[in-house]
Amino acid sequence: MELSEIQQAIEALPPERRRALLDWMRTLEREPVAATPKLPKPPKLKVARRPATLQSAVLWSVFSILAFLVVDAAIFRSGWYFNYLLPDSTTGQMEFHVFWVLHTLPDKLPEAAVVGDSRIAEGFTARKASAAAGEKIHFWNMGVPGSSPRTWYYMLRDADPDRKRFRSITIAMDRYSDEDRGENPANRVVDLNYLAGRLRVTDCPDFSQSFDDPELRKGMLTGCLFKGATMRRDVQDLLLHRKERLRVAKLWRNDGHGYIDGYEGKPESLAGLTVDFGKKLISFPPGVKDWQSESVRNFALAAPAPQTGALTAYRRLWLGRILDLYKDSQTRIVFLELPGGPVPPPEPTVPARYFDSVAHQPRVTVLPKEMFRDLERPDFYADGLHLNVNGRPVFSERLGRKVAELMGVN
Amino acid sequence: MLFTTLNFAVFLVVVLVAFYLLPKPARRYLLLAASLFFYMAWNPKFVVLIVGLISIDYFAALWIIHKQGPARRMALLVSLFANIGLLGWFKYANFIRETVLTLAHPGVAVQPLDIILPLGISFHTFQSISYVIDVYRGEQPAIKSYVDYALFVAFFPQLVAGPIVRAREFFLDYFNWQPPTAEEWQRGVSMILTGFVKKLICADQFANAADRYYSNPQAMPGLLPAWSGTIAFGLQIFFDFSGYTDIAIGVALLFGFHFPENFRRPYLSASVTEFWRRWHMTLSGWLRDYIYISLGGNRRGNLRTYANLMMTMLLGGLWHGASWNFVIWGGYHGAVLSLERIVWGRGEKQGLLRIPLAALTFLIVNIGWVFFRAKTLAASVFVVGQMFTAELGKVVLTPVQIRLALATLAVALAEEYGGLLTKLTHSPAWLRTAAVVVTLLAIELFTASDQSLPFVYFQF
Repeated sequence: MELSEIQQAIEALPPERRRALLDWMRTLEREPVAATPKLPKPPKLKVARRPATLQSAVLWSVFSILAFLVVDAAIFRSGWYFNYLLPDSTTGQMEFHVFWVLHTLPDKLPEAAVVGDSRIAEGFTARKASAAAGEKIHFWNMGVPGSSPRTWYYMLRDADPDRKRFRSITIAMDRYSDEDRGENPANRVVDLNYLAGRLRVTDCPDFSQSFDDPELRKGMLTGCLFKGATMRRDVQDLLLHRKERLRVAKLWRNDGHGYIDGYEGKPESLAGLTVDFGKKLISFPPGVKDWQSESVRNFALAAPAPQTGALTAYRRLWLGRILDLYKDSQTRIVFLELPGGPVPPPEPTVPARYFDSVAHQPRVTVLPKEMFRDLERPDFYADGLHLNVNGRPVFSERLGRKVAELMGVN
Repeated sequence: MLFTTLNFAVFLVVVLVAFYLLPKPARRYLLLAASLFFYMAWNPKFVVLIVGLISIDYFAALWIIHKQGPARRMALLVSLFANIGLLGWFKYANFIRETVLTLAHPGVAVQPLDIILPLGISFHTFQSISYVIDVYRGEQPAIKSYVDYALFVAFFPQLVAGPIVRAREFFLDYFNWQPPTAEEWQRGVSMILTGFVKKLICADQFANAADRYYSNPQAMPGLLPAWSGTIAFGLQIFFDFSGYTDIAIGVALLFGFHFPENFRRPYLSASVTEFWRRWHMTLSGWLRDYIYISLGGNRRGNLRTYANLMMTMLLGGLWHGASWNFVIWGGYHGAVLSLERIVWGRGEKQGLLRIPLAALTFLIVNIGWVFFRAKTLAASVFVVGQMFTAELGKVVLTPVQIRLALATLAVALAEEYGGLLTKLTHSPAWLRTAAVVVTLLAIELFTASDQSLPFVYFQF
């Protein structure tokens, strides 16, 4: 066989076989080869640079994964990416509220936050509340549509890191009663989306363990550790509409809080609406739009759910954490029961176990549940959940006065 | 336990670390235990089935080498009966029952029996059958150790959906086990990542379009929806299945095992014959060696060759699923293979002629996919009819999906003619690291589905 043929045959071997052959040839060189005829020196085989050992390859794998984690953290844990969020996304709404609080210098006036879901975002006006308090309190509307006590905890933790910013925090609850309503709040997957910008690596085990469903726990842990996966749709949207997203994000960052402050509320009204909860009959006034009637049906026709105690446990955990967060501070925590809807809903039969248990804690106030019941009027509501342009000033002013009274600001 | 889940990632890391920490003699026990655990994670009770089949085939092979004459044949038949019988029961009982009852009582709806298809049964029975036949033919020594043989059948990377590994390939590595070289380790990692990209970014993305069309083809009449919906499925099944086998091959490499290649850019084939040399290569090889050649192959004249091709492809179709659609799909490919053999012989076309031929082959293969994907025969006939209608309709692929398809074509061409991935494996460490970082970010940000979708071939 010619030397060139041998070379070709060696070059045709798979790399691992070639390597084994080379190793074997090296062992031959150590043996006496006196009788072997001298062969011309073969041209050098071109061997690509590669790690010499399996250990170095394993190390390379580990290093590559670490490099990915560093890049991922630089994007999603440095806060850089969250400057470009879609303002009306779940993450965006939460992040902008925290951003505005952190990037606004503390007021000379005492500051009071009002925290809640869309019923606060839509139904509370900080301007009216401040005015009702004689302009002696700076109110913050920190209502985030669709949010929940778990998300409020992380929002407050980060928006008020030294627990000195707010003299009072009012937390708006739908009903004090611990009546379960079907959905287990501990398993709300969307909370991860709200909190994508807030959760630290150290939060991930605790956050994921707060879900009751074992499968969800795994998903939440992954989503918390790899925020890019949680933010996937937002990132894809950013890549598709870069210029517009950057423009809107900047605009919202600078002017969004002013827009929220100046918002007047929905003009629609449900005046004329009647609901017979017993017979599940709803009579709509003329001209009601689809989104209004659908919302009223969801409110009025909700089926009773089995009582598992899940809501009590959830409140104990997350509202309890908010109380713990402020237990060594001067901040008063105020709980209020929101008006229940455009018509007074039936009184729940399950007692308010959680709120009864915290009502007597120092610097905690549980406002009387009847305080806003008189607002349960169709002409004050735009749909089944949200106060309209007529209802929100009444609600806000009354709340503003009450908070001022509790804070001793008159 | 899907390859694309956190559970599997944890499982793999734990098994890998334990594997390399344990002394060599203990590793086979670890791999077997891990493989059975992997199988039981799906349905613990079916472990009895796989262990039963392993036992039958193990003893059948020993019987074959120790006996002469009819006893050997009997052992082979017992093994074949057990494997094909169980595969037949789990996979084809409903199909046969429905066909017989429909013929006997036309118009009467047949209620299917409640039979769960055990995970990976189509794959591990084929591995077992090939082993016993090879032992019978004298091409493979019988394995003396039960644990060794059980590991061959149940080894978790290939257990669920292949590649179908032959005993001689597996035991060549097993009995001469060497730790993977650095290059093999890197190749394993890159194959796993490639598999993730194929499955999570490409397959699940194209699945959106394919599912949208095939959920109700009648709602989207026209030539463009039919072709684009079917091409979407063709891309989905390729990326899904080849993604799975890439991960399987990569995982096996990390343990020092070299699984055979299963896909070699099949959509660049210039004929259907070439397509079958590049698509699900381990199944094609299995069908060739144990059915086509057993039937006489091409040694008994042209007509018999065509009949053998047809029979092999019909059985191949039926292997994929128990319905007339799969039989038609197999028959369609058998007919096209025979026709190609008549017109062109067996040679592969070279040069620029490959371009139009590859496009034509892609379209021919996609017509076949209609029968593979459509829920019913009537739906298949409707879609094929729409492929040749004058009404245009709208493309079901989104602009993003079209761009993704073109990008994957560019990568396939770069790999086919420039060895892109091979070059990347040999590139400097910083470039390989950058490639891993970009790939992991892509997986994190562009995974098409929020949930872990099962691999298409799991149903087979």
